[in-house]
Amino acid sequence: MFDSTSPTRSPRGEVAADALALLGERVRPVSASRTQVLPVLAPLRDLLPEGGLRRGSTIGISADHCGGGNTIAMALMAAASMAGSWCAAVGLPDLGPVAADELQIDLRRLAFVPLPGVQWGETVAAVIEGVDVVLLRPPPHVRATVVRRLVARLRDRRAVLIILIDGTDWSEGCDVELRVDHARWVAIGRGEDCLRERLATVTAVGRRSAVRPVCRQLWLPDMSRTVAMA
Amino acid sequence: MERLLLVRCPELLVEDEGGVILRTFVQVTDAVRTYCPWVTAVRAGICTLPIRGPSRFFGGESAVTDLVLEAAEAAAGGTPVEVGIADGLFAAHLAAQNGLIIPPGETATFLARWPLSALERPDLEELLRRLGIYTLGAFADLPEGHVLARLGNEGVACHRIARAIEGELPGLRETATQERIDRLGVDTSCGIEQVGFWGGHRDSDTRAIRALVAVQELLGVDAVQVATRQGGRSPAQQTRFITWAGPDRSQSPLRIKPWPGQIPSPAPSTIYVRPIQVEIIGDAAEPVTVTGRGSLNTPPSRMSIGGAPWTPVVAWAGPWPALEQWWRANWSRSARMQVVTAAQLGHLLTTQRGKWWLTATYD
Repeated sequence: MFDSTSPTRSPRGEVAADALALLGERVRPVSASRTQVLPVLAPLRDLLPEGGLRRGSTIGISADHCGGGNTIAMALMAAASMAGSWCAAVGLPDLGPVAADELQIDLRRLAFVPLPGVQWGETVAAVIEGVDVVLLRPPPHVRATVVRRLVARLRDRRAVLIILIDGTDWSEGCDVELRVDHARWVAIGRGEDCLRERLATVTAVGRRSAVRPVCRQLWLPDMSRTVAMA
Repeated sequence: MERLLLVRCPELLVEDEGGVILRTFVQVTDAVRTYCPWVTAVRAGICTLPIRGPSRFFGGESAVTDLVLEAAEAAAGGTPVEVGIADGLFAAHLAAQNGLIIPPGETATFLARWPLSALERPDLEELLRRLGIYTLGAFADLPEGHVLARLGNEGVACHRIARAIEGELPGLRETATQERIDRLGVDTSCGIEQVGFWGGHRDSDTRAIRALVAVQELLGVDAVQVATRQGGRSPAQQTRFITWAGPDRSQSPLRIKPWPGQIPSPAPSTIYVRPIQVEIIGDAAEPVTVTGRGSLNTPPSRMSIGGAPWTPVVAWAGPWPALEQWWRANWSRSARMQVVTAAQLGHLLTTQRGKWWLTATYD
């Protein structure tokens, strides 16, 4: 409605348009705040303070020895990807693309930067300039200054960082941390059936918005290859 | 310089009036395209593909070479096919004529032994001969200033080729032929089609493209990849990583039917670029093997990943038999099995020639 890229507008018109846009946001607070939050799959909404991925925020993912971190991380990207957002996976050479596809992430708009090497910080800084959701595993000994600079830079960008924090020195903390515990595979037996569905406990701990931890039992994934409430 | 796999069909280089040659060559490019969607027809009889993405995916350059050669020969209707890999189009063309894979960064050494005639610049060759220079190596040793002074810009362009600074000389590509080949190609029949939105119709697309191009400028073009789906039995076979090539060169998502012998969903969220060797044994510490009838000789009881301490196997599924087409040289039967450890971590194991490998984890 308030096209900020219209090339024909005069500087004065721009000011007026900005004022109108501001007014528009004030009278329609719900939709205005929604533009700052990218969607997530319904079963994950409760776990996030604003019911989605707030632009400029960081979400940390960890798991106990039973695993499940990669799956929840990719599941977090799915709804935004379906809605047209661009995603990237930085420093994850082993991430399985079929699993991403099964979770309905659009592979055409999922860029892999598997090996950023020593230029990890510069790479992430470049990616967050234009990609909405960035999944990353920081190098084991990432310098605190690099992390601080990235997080500071992220605040006024549109991107959301999903960080696999296990085994790394991610020092800045995260706005939300999702932890997967006690994941267990159901159905598969000793030579019977196969890996189909997994039940796990996911706990969300927020730094600011969430007062106390939120805990949910989730299928990660369920029989239909998506994430569901247990 | 981009690392290229080049396919050359020596009997399809010169077009005939009826167009039979070009149509045969289009069959070759289409066959090669099944391994990498970004096959570029250079001219009649010659096409290239960027090799880094496919190489990483198919387990090495020689593995891709075998696959591409097999596919191209099957499509070439009995005419010979040559395949080679090197940095840059010029060197890749020479490599293909000799069936060679030139290791990265060794292009200058490879080129040094070639006679000047490889440049296909008779006038330049004649001038250099008079200076006592007969090989690309001797030419490369001349200071660039001297080359510019005596041989002009054309000479410098060739000099840079000889020094392996530039990868491509004008003249080999035939744009008009390329266009005709593209028109004849049946891209959509192999599930590949051009889509518009990489072209940046939307604001967010433009921003994302700009950011990814910036990453390519930082790390190199091959550093940014996308995955494409294809048919295959194992999770690793069901997608392929290809270098992200910016706007309007992508393919639509390819929804595929279940492949015969495919491992059931869900797919593993981790697929190891380098599989890890695994020991897996039964109750009596006997190694688990797959029998000729496609079943396990004994129920698995414990496993050790990469020499780590033994961990109990609490559940398993499979084995699913697999015939790996691309290990043609040492064709062998392989099979896959899912296992769940005591920690409830699910893994996908692959066995081949009596050894087990951890190829993926359902993390």
